[in-house]
Amino acid sequence: MSSLLAGFWQRLQRGNGRDAARRRERHVRLVPAARESGLFLVLRRMRAPLVALIVIYAVSVLGLTLIPGVDGQGRPWRMGFFHAFYFMSYTATTIGFGEIPHAFTNAQRLWVTFSIYLTVVGWAWSVGTLFALLQDRGFRRALVTIRFSRRVRKLREPFVLVVGYGQSGRRLVYWLDMIGRRASVMDVAQDRIDDVELAPLAMVAPAYAADARVPDHLLRAGLAHPLCTAVLALTDDDEANLAVAMTAALLRPDVRVFAQTLSASARDRLRLFGNPTAIDPFDRFGDYLRAGIRAPASFRLIEWMTGPPGTPLPRLREVPRGRWIVCGYGRFGRHVVADLRAEGMEVTVIEPGAAAADDPEIIVGYGTESAVLARAQPETAVGFIAATDNDTSNLSMIAAARAANRDLYLIARQNQRANQRLFRSIGVDFALVPAEVVAREIFADLTDPALYRFLTLVPTQDDAWAEDLLGRLQRACGERLPHLWGVRLDRATAPALAMWFAEGRTLSVGALLGGRARHHARLHVVVLMRVRGGEAMLLPGDFVDLLPGDELLLAGQSDGRRAITAILAAEAPRDLALLGVDRPAGWVWRRLARPTE
Amino acid sequence: MNLEKVVFGFFILLAATLNFGFVIGDIADPMLHNEYELFAALVVSLVATVLKFGDRTQIGAVHLATSLVADLQLIAAAVVWAYAANAAASGMTPHHMASIVSLAAGALFANVVSVVLLVAETLSFHRR
Repeated sequence: MSSLLAGFWQRLQRGNGRDAARRRERHVRLVPAARESGLFLVLRRMRAPLVALIVIYAVSVLGLTLIPGVDGQGRPWRMGFFHAFYFMSYTATTIGFGEIPHAFTNAQRLWVTFSIYLTVVGWAWSVGTLFALLQDRGFRRALVTIRFSRRVRKLREPFVLVVGYGQSGRRLVYWLDMIGRRASVMDVAQDRIDDVELAPLAMVAPAYAADARVPDHLLRAGLAHPLCTAVLALTDDDEANLAVAMTAALLRPDVRVFAQTLSASARDRLRLFGNPTAIDPFDRFGDYLRAGIRAPASFRLIEWMTGPPGTPLPRLREVPRGRWIVCGYGRFGRHVVADLRAEGMEVTVIEPGAAAADDPEIIVGYGTESAVLARAQPETAVGFIAATDNDTSNLSMIAAARAANRDLYLIARQNQRANQRLFRSIGVDFALVPAEVVAREIFADLTDPALYRFLTLVPTQDDAWAEDLLGRLQRACGERLPHLWGVRLDRATAPALAMWFAEGRTLSVGALLGGRARHHARLHVVVLMRVRGGEAMLLPGDFVDLLPGDELLLAGQSDGRRAITAILAAEAPRDLALLGVDRPAGWVWRRLARPTE
Repeated sequence: MNLEKVVFGFFILLAATLNFGFVIGDIADPMLHNEYELFAALVVSLVATVLKFGDRTQIGAVHLATSLVADLQLIAAAVVWAYAANAAASGMTPHHMASIVSLAAGALFANVVSVVLLVAETLSFHRR
């Protein structure tokens, strides 16, 4: 209903002439002001030395043509412009072929001596200016800007504008690259931008060091580009993220905006501008944890579906119920404690700082000290969370807790990506990397709207359903995380199937996945969802029919994905899979085969 | 008064006048066309071109384009002269001279466009 209303509203707006004019005006304003080229910058700075060089050449050549000389027989002879220019050209560039066509008189030699020094000065000035210009920081910066703008302008595929190349930005750009989506990157720090060039990306990601709070910089990074599909504000600064989201909402209301927020106030202010998706990693982690306590299988399912495809399946212990110990009562600690208490758990908090003052039940002290830890009685607890913003203390707390009680469920907040190995070898059950939470969330939402819809539907199902699906996914995809992709059975993405339907034939889910035709073993692919006319059907069985225009969400490994793509796209693999007939694929052979049929 | 504008206007006008001075006269008569005048026209035209570098406005771009055309025509004329005087077996013939002068006349046309642009720019500046 709401989409219907929205469509009606849009049509109303489109009919409004004044509004259209305003939109045109806005478009004009969005066109980047100056399209400079590096050549023009050089030429502008080189004006004076170039004029000097021309004048010096002109004077020298003119002098040579005016000064009387003699030819080989001693008769009076005057050098023409052609010879004078030829002589000056090789003399000024210090090639020096000698005095031609005839030996010079003393008067000519006098003039040539003068011209040689004159031209050397001219060249030295020109070349010196050119090199100084190439060394100039401002000029180099201008060149980088020009190159970046050009690269962004030349993007011909949909791309995502990533502001902030920190831990989450880095991951997202890499994952998007893996599935063939492009990104344009902006960050205030030059060294991070240098990292983009070194990143193992399949496609070049244009990157630029600039303050994203300035709208012009965002426009240069492709905010106004028609193929910009989303803006991700992932800087560490809430204020900057807010500025980016605001700029995007005002200048390009049609692109999606994702912003990382660390405070509730920033989240509220963000909502004032359009409809950006605010992601608070600590809040999200609390939600995960609650889901993990309430519905372990659904939790694991979501974990599988939002992870990077092709990586090994994450092994998770079930989150236990009982008393928990939380060390660190900062932003993250507060969220987690509140979520655990909301799930009816008893929580003991250890906190050294001022935050402990407002709650008498909090044990004041450092969790790394064994005396303090002993007061929290780790022997009787079921879980331990190291939640400070210092990785070294988190690691030592984990070690101390493990020594006190071997069976504790250990959760650590990992702040630095570089410490990943340490957390892995100490053997925590769950390391929360805030950056990872943000990146996964956005990745799931961006890559596939169908997937995102599926993920929102998972919590509506019971845990047994999720358990069953986990088993099916594992049978189909083995020990690695599945690829998830959506297909639409229409003429554009599935031409071979469109023809199939046009011939009046029918198709069911089971037939598509195969296993019945002679040459076709069943594909290792699971159909997660069928969407028809806005209605979603979860896990359609083998006998569910498919119609043109249906959308499917599929899960499988890359070989399954390739097979499905081939069936949808070309007639020969389609007929081999669905009919068991090995048809010729080339045009000539098809022509030849037709009469015999 | 802006000295830069004076220098700019001076070179554009001088390029046009020198060019005109060279072109005027019977097209095929070598006696009526001075090689020093062609040389001066070429040098001044080159200087005018460099002075137009780096102006990013629309009118600046057209200015530069006209100058480049004039340079090209004058260089072609100079090359024909050098060929006729030094390399051709027949020496300078009326036919060669006619080619040189017609090339220079083409450059003159570009220079006139340049002057028109200059005048138009000046007038619009005054009106503002």
